[in-house]
Amino acid sequence: MKHLPKHLRPRWRYLAVALESWPDAEVGRRAFQRELWYAGQNLLGDPGSAAADLTVVRFAFADGTGHALVKVRRGETESARAALACIDEIDDSPVGIRVQGISGTIRAAEENYLGRGRQESEERNVVFGNEERVAVVRNGDGSADVRLPDESFAGATDLDYDLA
Amino acid sequence: MYEAVHARPAGASTVARLAKTAADYGYEGVVVRNCADARAEYDPDGIRDEYDVDVVAGVEVRTDDPQEASGAVGNYRTDETIVAVSGGTTSMNRFAVENDKVDVLSHPMADDGDVNHVLAKAALENGVRLEFDLSRVLGEHGGGRVREIQGLRKLYEIVDHYGTPHVVSATPTSHLEFRAPRELAALGERIGLPGEFVEDGLAEWGRLAERNRRVQSESFIEPGVERGRYEEKH
Repeated sequence: MKHLPKHLRPRWRYLAVALESWPDAEVGRRAFQRELWYAGQNLLGDPGSAAADLTVVRFAFADGTGHALVKVRRGETESARAALACIDEIDDSPVGIRVQGISGTIRAAEENYLGRGRQESEERNVVFGNEERVAVVRNGDGSADVRLPDESFAGATDLDYDLA
Repeated sequence: MYEAVHARPAGASTVARLAKTAADYGYEGVVVRNCADARAEYDPDGIRDEYDVDVVAGVEVRTDDPQEASGAVGNYRTDETIVAVSGGTTSMNRFAVENDKVDVLSHPMADDGDVNHVLAKAALENGVRLEFDLSRVLGEHGGGRVREIQGLRKLYEIVDHYGTPHVVSATPTSHLEFRAPRELAALGERIGLPGEFVEDGLAEWGRLAERNRRVQSESFIEPGVERGRYEEKH
């Protein structure tokens, strides 16, 4: 179909979203999109989520951190924020989620908010709470997720452990 | 704005990680309010210097027995900057709002808890802040969340009418449960709490900490008696 004249095209806003989870979490684009639509539907209802749109247009996630761009209709950014805040887990992995900024074009959002390179992480042996443990240490910012005996993690920083 | 957290061992993340996350999310500080049976060990000054975030020592008294709670509140009042009492039953809600040593009544609408005009007025008189706990709105779905939102709306209507002081928190137990102030304000708008009300409630933790630190500092001889110009210097 012929595309709409410019004044009839919807205006979009793009939310740059930072994602975080435990190092063993696997979060895919489809799962994130599904959770986002669920959250929108639960919080905003069908008319509200139709108005907001909430389409994921960019997505990347690896080693417990990631980012996404979410397309939202102009004027609905606050409802989109509220819906995003209600995503507490994706595929049973708890996620931290934060809107870093909003732009009018995908390119501006990528350049302004997603430009920071991916953080490398590595496994290190550490002494945490007087026990020797393996921690996934994120280079550069001091965050570390310490693996506990029951296969769960403890969120820590370089203030909490000594390198073994 | 401040966030009130439960750190390891009550939660999954250490105080340092929670403080670091708070800084990233745009908070000015965290209130560590672990319960008596799961106290966190941390170095507030070290964390403050590293992440430029205020760390406030606190406690949440969690029991079903008002007498036991009364003893615990008395014990912690001198050492902790913020003393909260976990609500959720009629007797504990009533105990907390009638006790001026209590700073915050946490989640008064949870479980069987309820708040009416009598409790709201008592809380106003004794300076007890009623907490709006958003954690279950963020984490639950369906009927449980509907009831939670109904409870918060009712509480807002009462608090708004009497001008009872309030605090707002998402009560994170790990760094992944943090949500930024703007997100919480946006969520508040959707469920009937005005955005400014939510932001004011997040900021109230900071004002409370500042006041209590001043009252507990050297410039007060005892509660209500401030060191004046007639006191001799030591």
